[in-house]
Amino acid sequence: MTEFFNIIAVGLLLGGIYSLVAVGLNLIFGVVRIVNFAQGEFVMLGMYGTFAAQMALGFDPYIAPVIVVPLLFALGCAVYWLLLRPLQGEPMMQVFATFGLLMALENVVLAVTRGVGYSVNSALSQVSIKLGPLQIGLTRVIVLTAATAVAIALGWYLKTSLPGKAIRAIAQDRRAARLMGINVDRMYMISFGIGTALAGLAGCLLAPLYTMSPQIGANFIMPAFAVVVLGGLGSVAGAYAGGIIVGLTEALAGYYLDPALKQAVLFMVFIIVLLVRPQGLFGIAGAEEVGLREEH
Amino acid sequence: MKLTRRTFGGVVAGAVATTSAPSAYAQGTTIKIGAVNPYSGPMAQYGDELSLCFELATEQANAAGGVLGRKLEIVRASATNAQEGIAAVEQLVGRDKVDVLIGTYVSAISNAASEAALNNGKLYWETNALARDLTDRGLPNYARSGPSSNEFAARSVEGAVKIVAAKLNKTAKDLKVWIEHEDSAYGTSVFKEQDRLFKEAGVTYGVGTHSARAIDLTDSILRAKNAAPDVWMSTGYVGDTNLLLRAARDQGFKPPAIILLGVGDTKETLDALGKEYLEGMLLISYARPDVNEAYSPGAAAFLKLYRDKFKREPIAPQGMNAFVGAKILIEAIAKAGGTEYEKVIKAAASFDKPLGTYEAGYGIKFNEKMQNTRAFPVIAQWQNGQVKAVFPDAAAGGVAIVNIPRA
Repeated sequence: MTEFFNIIAVGLLLGGIYSLVAVGLNLIFGVVRIVNFAQGEFVMLGMYGTFAAQMALGFDPYIAPVIVVPLLFALGCAVYWLLLRPLQGEPMMQVFATFGLLMALENVVLAVTRGVGYSVNSALSQVSIKLGPLQIGLTRVIVLTAATAVAIALGWYLKTSLPGKAIRAIAQDRRAARLMGINVDRMYMISFGIGTALAGLAGCLLAPLYTMSPQIGANFIMPAFAVVVLGGLGSVAGAYAGGIIVGLTEALAGYYLDPALKQAVLFMVFIIVLLVRPQGLFGIAGAEEVGLREEH
Repeated sequence: MKLTRRTFGGVVAGAVATTSAPSAYAQGTTIKIGAVNPYSGPMAQYGDELSLCFELATEQANAAGGVLGRKLEIVRASATNAQEGIAAVEQLVGRDKVDVLIGTYVSAISNAASEAALNNGKLYWETNALARDLTDRGLPNYARSGPSSNEFAARSVEGAVKIVAAKLNKTAKDLKVWIEHEDSAYGTSVFKEQDRLFKEAGVTYGVGTHSARAIDLTDSILRAKNAAPDVWMSTGYVGDTNLLLRAARDQGFKPPAIILLGVGDTKETLDALGKEYLEGMLLISYARPDVNEAYSPGAAAFLKLYRDKFKREPIAPQGMNAFVGAKILIEAIAKAGGTEYEKVIKAAASFDKPLGTYEAGYGIKFNEKMQNTRAFPVIAQWQNGQVKAVFPDAAAGGVAIVNIPRA
């Protein structure tokens, strides 16, 4: 039984990683309606930003978000304004543009680092918490806590704040929102910036867990897309819950079946969910076509 | 046309002039060696390191007068995958007119590039690619001067049976091993040989496989932890190996011995895990330039050559293996008297030099598949943040094994 609880803990903590990466991706999809292939590269930039902050300023990775998150927000705003806004109304071109961005970011970082695998260290990296028979790394607990906090905060922001309401309004119907006086382009830019900033936060918190490489973003993005579709396109709660489900599925399959089979099992579950509930667990039918909608 | 003595004489004279022209021309030209490696992409720094060491070997030969009266020159073409490997060979042969080809940091690139070289009638001299299949194919233009994945696997089994079992006062049959490997051709080919050798030795073992691109490998560690092995050994790449070690640390998985194959011996792992955690970890690796000189004659001179030229320390031990491979190729060309692959392969096959002839501790004796059977990795160990050779004894030069069982 200890084994079972241990693997559940492992799955929850892994789910935290997926949730953290997927929340920003889902916000961008739900509001701006762009399938952002470069989201993994924004996570990668967050990791390298953390490394740079540690090297240049001696910052602990858990302090680095103070610098990295605003920078990624600014980068996201710039990417939207300069690259994606001119392609409005051409969704396929926007997808290709994000793919081009993916390649560009990956290769620029590659050229700068020459592919050397960097690591950052925190005083917390080597702390392992023992809960009865369970043993878990503190860094992973921090990621799960942050993912939970981000999901709650983002949900609260979208529900109660004025800019949040504006974001929801343009997600539901951009023309009506424009008629109500909302600056749609500006809100799209802010939404994309928030999604990118969340990827930067994920990068900071994940940096102590991994050895960085310019390609590491690709490792996150495939499961993150599965999380988003599984949880429901455009749903913050869906991204969070989807991440936890994917984490648990992978951990249980990896432990009880075979680690080499866990991706196969995950995507089997993914296909089954799509067949039974095409809109995802928390999504609303049609959201993938018309953006985030709310039930009334 | 009627054949007269005069026309016959003219034809003969013309033929002699034609056949003698290339050799007279060749005397004044360089022997071009096409170096196929990844110079961009994630493996660029290692591909570059290999080719820099090829260049060191050719510069050394040129300083001694060259080969067959000709200077040697390395011409590079980048390949980050198999398709680019083929294109690189076509470019080197077609545009750059290279005489022979040398490589390769990645087995898949070597596999495709060597076949392209055969199609172009050129020698493909392999120094670093590990996959056993490369020589098992029996390509007539292909030889490997360095060890294959089988030699790495064999050393890991020696490490478990001869070093760890002795330290734990166990016999091979009492030893419990966990073999972890990444699931591509690289990890699988190493495992196949480990599987064979451990069965022969009567060792009990469990097996775990994982994807090198996995986000989390805690499940792999928990499976190994449940088996409570005496030795946990892993074949993978840098990223997944570091992830496994971090998960082991988080989960409190402390096997008495850890053996890493092919990776784990660079600054990337030292930075990720720290010297305290790595202390005592065993590594199956190429001999490093600071290995005992009695085992690897000339290693110190190689290190000096490298430092003088590049003003830094070698990035990885693969470099000296590449240097030695290029030296053996140059010797084979000299003995062959030309660069045609049939002649060079035949010349290389005739070499019979004992272990300890070259800088990496190698000798030369090629088998019928043109795999050098006298090229072996060493067993090294992390000791106080440095990698020290500890096996065989000649390579260790008195360096003692520490921290087994791991504290």
